Amino acid sequence: MKVMYRLDSIRKRYGSNVALDIEELTIAEGRLYTLTGANGAGKSTLLNILAFLSPPTSGEIHYAGKRVAWDPGSMEEYRRKVTLLHQSPYLFGGTVYDNVAFGLKARRIHGDARERRVDKALDDVGLQGFRDRKARELSGGEAQRVAMARALVLEPEVLLLDEPLANIDRGTAGLLETVIASLPARGTTVVLITHDPEQPGRLNGESILLEEGKVATPHPPVA
Amino acid sequence: MDFLVSSLAAALRLIGTFSPDVVDAVGTSLAVSAGATVFAALFGIPLGLLVGLSDFPLKRLVVTVLNTLMAVPTVVVGLVVYGFLSRQGPLGVLGLLFTPTAIVIGGTLLAAPIVANYALASVRGADPRIVPTALTLGAGRVLAVGTLIAEIRFGILAAVIAGFGRVVSEVGVAMMLGGNIRGYTRTMTTAIALETSKGEFAFGMALGILLMMVALLVNLFLNLLQRR
Repeated sequence: MKVMYRLDSIRKRYGSNVALDIEELTIAEGRLYTLTGANGAGKSTLLNILAFLSPPTSGEIHYAGKRVAWDPGSMEEYRRKVTLLHQSPYLFGGTVYDNVAFGLKARRIHGDARERRVDKALDDVGLQGFRDRKARELSGGEAQRVAMARALVLEPEVLLLDEPLANIDRGTAGLLETVIASLPARGTTVVLITHDPEQPGRLNGESILLEEGKVATPHPPVA
Repeated sequence: MDFLVSSLAAALRLIGTFSPDVVDAVGTSLAVSAGATVFAALFGIPLGLLVGLSDFPLKRLVVTVLNTLMAVPTVVVGLVVYGFLSRQGPLGVLGLLFTPTAIVIGGTLLAAPIVANYALASVRGADPRIVPTALTLGAGRVLAVGTLIAEIRFGILAAVIAGFGRVVSEVGVAMMLGGNIRGYTRTMTTAIALETSKGEFAFGMALGILLMMVALLVNLFLNLLQRR
């Protein structure tokens, strides 16, 4: 099985505070991982590093077998393969369509291909008919679904989710959980932060526990 | 009291009958203010965005200097530009002193720090999730910054309007660099100062009313934008 991420001796410091200190971590392609741990354990810090938004202070990351150099010129290429969805996502001004199509426009995907993918992503999250709605006028659950559609439409190799189901109603959470659970079968690697103790079991994923910035349980090596 | 009432009535008559002197001063004021605002926006907006979006060792000093420049008296700006544009000055050969262009130059220097500071404040007040969201959706650095600018566009527009408000209401630069030449460089503010000193109180009052109306409109528009 292909390894998506290999982290070696990754440390992230903020001043004298060590937020993350991971000796070794491997994340395989097409699997779902739940990332758990107390507040301040380093979960969001790890996700930001995996999303190539924030470089580690030291250590090495290999993505799909290639060492990540963290030079500004190459980061855009990595970020186009990995998408991060926040717990309280930011929706841009404009319509739902403007938001969902944002990443496709950045990739210069135009015309029918763009329209089809936007419609399919909105269908996947149950937002048919929402294309022309003002993004800022949506409810919290609808906004979360738009953000999910905005990530899904890109068909990323890796989807990183920072508590995507917190603060939304049960119905929407159930819908999005079903969508998330279906992603590994499409070949998408998923890493999801959760505080719901039952969610790892429901999603049938592998668990990574962080404690004070360290991986608390040894992560099984990929065969 | 009769003096004030009769002057007000005369002022309203001057406005109502579109007195050529009043119309001319208003036109010159709006033209040089608009010109200065355009140039101030061209310098000030990129400067504010650059300072707001980047981290560099002397950033705090630059921000302090920008803040200080907002408080520079208009006559000091006029004095400095006068030094450059006067016949003995380094740019004297251009013959720009006592022309509308000179007022535009001075107004630009006056408004640019205001525009830059407002733009900087807009960047600082922007939602910190905008750029990371754009980046994680695959935007390059340029598109991410473009997205940020689009999201704070009302703040940027407010910066431009604040710059215009500063230029249209100042008198020091227009007086020192324009020379208050009737039909050429006479603005609302310089005309008020001159005509009032000559005893033409009603004329000054007419221009004062119009200037207040311009300032009121600018501020109404600014408040409208800040509420969005």
